[in-house]
Amino acid sequence: SVWVMLESVIINSRQHVGLQKVSALAGRFRSSIGPIKNYKFIQDEVSRESVLVCSCFRIIENLEPTCAVGQLVYETVQAHHKGYRSGSGCLLFLAGAWSRTALDCLQRGIAVTHIIKAMSEGIDICLDVCKKSSVLFKDIAVMHKRTATPRDLGLQLSEEAITDASQEAANVHDKCLNMSGQRRVKLSRHFYEAKSEMLSSALLPDLLELPDVAVLADSLSHGCEDAMKLAVEAVQMLSKMNQQDISDPSFDISKVQTCVLPGLPEDCACVVEGCVFLLSDEQARVAHRIKQQPLKVALVTGDLSQTYRHLGFKSLSGVGVCEHLDLSASSKEDEWLEKVVNRLLNLKVNLILTAGLASQKVIQHCCRHHILVVEKVNSSVLRIIASSTGAVPVSYATQLAEPCVGNGINVEIWRDLSSYERESSTAVNISNGRNGGLVTAVITSCIHGKLQALEDQFWACAYRLHHALKDRALLPGAGGTEVLCVHQLQKQAEYHRVEDSKTGSAANLYRGLVLQLMADGLIDYISAVMVSTGRFSAAEARTIVSKQLQDFHKDEIIAGRFLESRREDAVFSAGKPDEALTVKIYDNLSVKQEAWRKALDLVFLVLQTDAEIITGTGQRAEENLMRL
Amino acid sequence: MSRLVKKSPSVCTDLPLSSSDVCNKLHLMKEFLRSSYGPTARLKQVHNNIGGSVVTSSTSSVLLQAIASSQPIISLIRSSILNHVSRFSDCGLFAAVFCLCLLEQAGQCGLRKNVMIKVNKHLLALCTGYLQQEDCGCKVKLDFCSSQSLITLARSVISSKPTCVLTEPESDHISRLAVQAFLLTVPCNIPDTVRLGRTVTITIEGHSVLKSAVFPGLLLSMPESLCFDSLCSPLHVVLFSISLAGDLSEIGDGRIEMHQGVDVDSQILDQLLELGKQVLKDGVKLFLCQKVIHPVLQHYLRCNGVIVIERLGVSLMEPLIQLTGAQPVATLHATIPSTVYGKVHNVCIRQFGCKTLLHLHPAGESAICSMILCHRNETMLNELKLVCQTTEHVLGLTLREPFALLGGGCTETHLAAYVRHKSKNEVSESTSVLGCSQTEYLLAADAFCRSLELVATSLEHDGGTSLIDLTHAHHWTLPSDVTEEHLEGVMAPCGCGVVESCQNKTRSYLDTKYAGFSPAPLLTASPLQATVLDSFTAKVNALGVAVETANLVLDVRYVIQDVN
Repeated sequence: SVWVMLESVIINSRQHVGLQKVSALAGRFRSSIGPIKNYKFIQDEVSRESVLVCSCFRIIENLEPTCAVGQLVYETVQAHHKGYRSGSGCLLFLAGAWSRTALDCLQRGIAVTHIIKAMSEGIDICLDVCKKSSVLFKDIAVMHKRTATPRDLGLQLSEEAITDASQEAANVHDKCLNMSGQRRVKLSRHFYEAKSEMLSSALLPDLLELPDVAVLADSLSHGCEDAMKLAVEAVQMLSKMNQQDISDPSFDISKVQTCVLPGLPEDCACVVEGCVFLLSDEQARVAHRIKQQPLKVALVTGDLSQTYRHLGFKSLSGVGVCEHLDLSASSKEDEWLEKVVNRLLNLKVNLILTAGLASQKVIQHCCRHHILVVEKVNSSVLRIIASSTGAVPVSYATQLAEPCVGNGINVEIWRDLSSYERESSTAVNISNGRNGGLVTAVITSCIHGKLQALEDQFWACAYRLHHALKDRALLPGAGGTEVLCVHQLQKQAEYHRVEDSKTGSAANLYRGLVLQLMADGLIDYISAVMVSTGRFSAAEARTIVSKQLQDFHKDEIIAGRFLESRREDAVFSAGKPDEALTVKIYDNLSVKQEAWRKALDLVFLVLQTDAEIITGTGQRAEENLMRL
Repeated sequence: MSRLVKKSPSVCTDLPLSSSDVCNKLHLMKEFLRSSYGPTARLKQVHNNIGGSVVTSSTSSVLLQAIASSQPIISLIRSSILNHVSRFSDCGLFAAVFCLCLLEQAGQCGLRKNVMIKVNKHLLALCTGYLQQEDCGCKVKLDFCSSQSLITLARSVISSKPTCVLTEPESDHISRLAVQAFLLTVPCNIPDTVRLGRTVTITIEGHSVLKSAVFPGLLLSMPESLCFDSLCSPLHVVLFSISLAGDLSEIGDGRIEMHQGVDVDSQILDQLLELGKQVLKDGVKLFLCQKVIHPVLQHYLRCNGVIVIERLGVSLMEPLIQLTGAQPVATLHATIPSTVYGKVHNVCIRQFGCKTLLHLHPAGESAICSMILCHRNETMLNELKLVCQTTEHVLGLTLREPFALLGGGCTETHLAAYVRHKSKNEVSESTSVLGCSQTEYLLAADAFCRSLELVATSLEHDGGTSLIDLTHAHHWTLPSDVTEEHLEGVMAPCGCGVVESCQNKTRSYLDTKYAGFSPAPLLTASPLQATVLDSFTAKVNALGVAVETANLVLDVRYVIQDVN
């Protein structure tokens, strides 16, 4: 049976239930946006189980919204998180703020089509501001040079040396100028590094325009300095391993894995080449035996068992055997095991990685022959190992043949964890240290409940670097971009108002108003972020923002000097105050644009919806429910 | 011990249309579908309330699919409209709203049901007769020499679904792509019977709509990154429709007896490898299977330089057969005759976002093309896919009848004015044929015309008022926030965009009675440049379905329900 929930009655009274739901849901994240995040407990009323969450994405994931609108919000956030790993809070907040904008418009009697048209104009203005105010890498490199001091460059160079170096760089650049024909005096700290003379001069113009990843990282850490440190290590290790062209830096996120190790203190977190697995004592003994020597490796995508069949294989149910002298199942398995181990021994394989499971019996049997079996390996890891070792993944161990076996992989004992009383007590590091390999960030914490949050922070930082290198540009952070957008929206709103009074037409009356209300949503966002730092009251935050809007200096904002007068309060940085003075804060261009776009798309869908169809059975005692 | 449950007797309802419960449900259904009609429609969320995915849509196929009802009358209307949609894809909401309006108007005018039925039938014939006429005032002949009218037709369909959230440049882009795809599916060398090719749609989430594109040939999803050496053209293709998973799933149910020690799995695998050997010997370079291929066979073929793609799914089989000319192989127990192999000119790999696709270029003439549809989120993308499929169908229908109807409600108001005028003028002839009184006839005709006008009115959802001009009988909308004195200055052209507002015309509110007149055709030298066009074939059929369904419902005397 079907229930139709008609909300049209409610819409007539200009109270859109869907938008109210989005606004209410988003309101629960008000205190979780911005760089300073507090941990929250979410407790299940029934099971009394609780989880420790930090990011907005994990909160909404654990809240499990059940109503249609809530689910739509969750699906949107999920899709965003999948591609960006940060910005979910911004998306949620603006979805709520702009829902209120739409509600406000409805209450003033503006038609839905007009609201959509005007808000589309609004987002176009905002995205255009983003495009125009984005800071290109080359400019960041220049700015960094201007403000850089030896301390924050992390290089032991005297003031003089830098001057010399920059002089030298300028000379080199003069030469380049003639070649490129463009007058660009851009400098980069790459110049101070010893490698610079090895670079051909043809590469220089490009190189001059790239800031160092570490510089980007400082600006993008947004309060997760430790996680960002790991992410930078991962970028640097990957580019070293893959001998990346430094004029074209990128960060291939698919070659990064995380390994979560509870029990170890947080400062043990690090990045290692290859991947890290936890082994039992028995496996560890084999690992000790085969460590530090190039090994042959076999990759299996299925389970290591005789009964495993590939996906899509339908076992016969009605098979009977004429004579009941069948071998018992166990002897069949023994036969299979014998066959597999003999094959592995013939192929001289010492390491077998499987994406599926391996039974205890198989692991033990292999251990006896000094073959290390590692199960539950991520299938993307298998693919990367396959391409870097020349191994060909097979579905069945019985399929293995000489051409499938990969070479030159190493097993190292990474850390003995037996003192932490764990079931799997040894962490091993498997790598080949060659081109095309992968890196693993090991995330550690003594508090089990924090691991998820730490892992999320690492991924957020890694994705920020990934997108920054992809976009080749950043946005002024610390609310700067939002202020620019607010300014532009208000300017356009004013323009519409003036136009209206001139022409006297009522048709455009709503446009200025909608843009103004959208700007208010952004102001609300900036002040909410400021409030969540705990250093401002809501009123103070609003005063600061409106003061900024009054003495508006676009160039200063783009140069990252927004709210500079308040820097001592470290408005948007969770770092120490003295650091906040020197580090400019930037945001990711594509992440912000995508989060805004998604937030508004969500508002549009909900704004246009006036009824729900609930399919399936189940009695519900709700108002406005009609049965068809 | 078995327990006997007493069977309850069937429930019989006399005159279901006079029951208030049925009327309320019909009214609810009407309001529900009416609010989903047109380019500014209100959307509906379909979900199951236990955490299933939420579908947001205003498409008739989605909405009607979702609203299963225990009331037989509702089910009758629902299945009748769904049947229309499955045949014509378009005008489902038009048919449903018109049908429900007819029923409601019939109830209100209080005439005998059989009179209503007869008059409805008569007026339907009048409408369809007029629409087929050469000089019909709401019909446009499609000009195939230019793509403009096709693009307009496509854009009207595409922009009728607000769930897609398309900007103007985006709907222009998609409309052009839809026409381009349609033209690619029209075969060049026409044999005796024209058979349209197919457009295969691939959706990619998270990209701008403007990245959508159309390619001749077929794009197949690749499971993993694959590299292959340059292959010499043409490539031989083999296509399997049975599972090559190495199981015996294809032999059906039943008990199998086998001797001890027989390893069925390895025997089938040997058979599969035998098959692999044969296709290798025959020089096959592309090995395709609708279902699963045993990994060992895949491995063997790949090692020998063959491109293997499994799990294609049944929907890709027909386009593949058309493109490659291969005949699907449904057995693995016989040698493959060389006649079943097909060929493609060459293949290349295309990367769209996270999807890696293998592009098959046809060896000869082919009417198969692929459409990559991109949108920012899943909800919008799903609706966009639906609407593009409807467009493909609508464009295909123009080959049968190269006409389009004026959109934006103008056809409805025009038809209503025509029927009013005609029925008044020919009242005596009609009543003698139909055997009813003149009053009855005029009342029933008014109900019919009111219903048509209500459909036009249903396009407006923001409190605007519908108007009709008393010259051409086109449909106009007066937005709610525009005052009467600004009317002339701001009023846009009529619904279909053919009549400009500057022309001095008297207009009447649609919900008031206006004096009957014969709608004048537009006399212009150039062909009509409408901005909104509707599918002629789909709408004419929808008109028929709506009236016949309404008549059938009016004719229901008893409903007998088995409640067990």
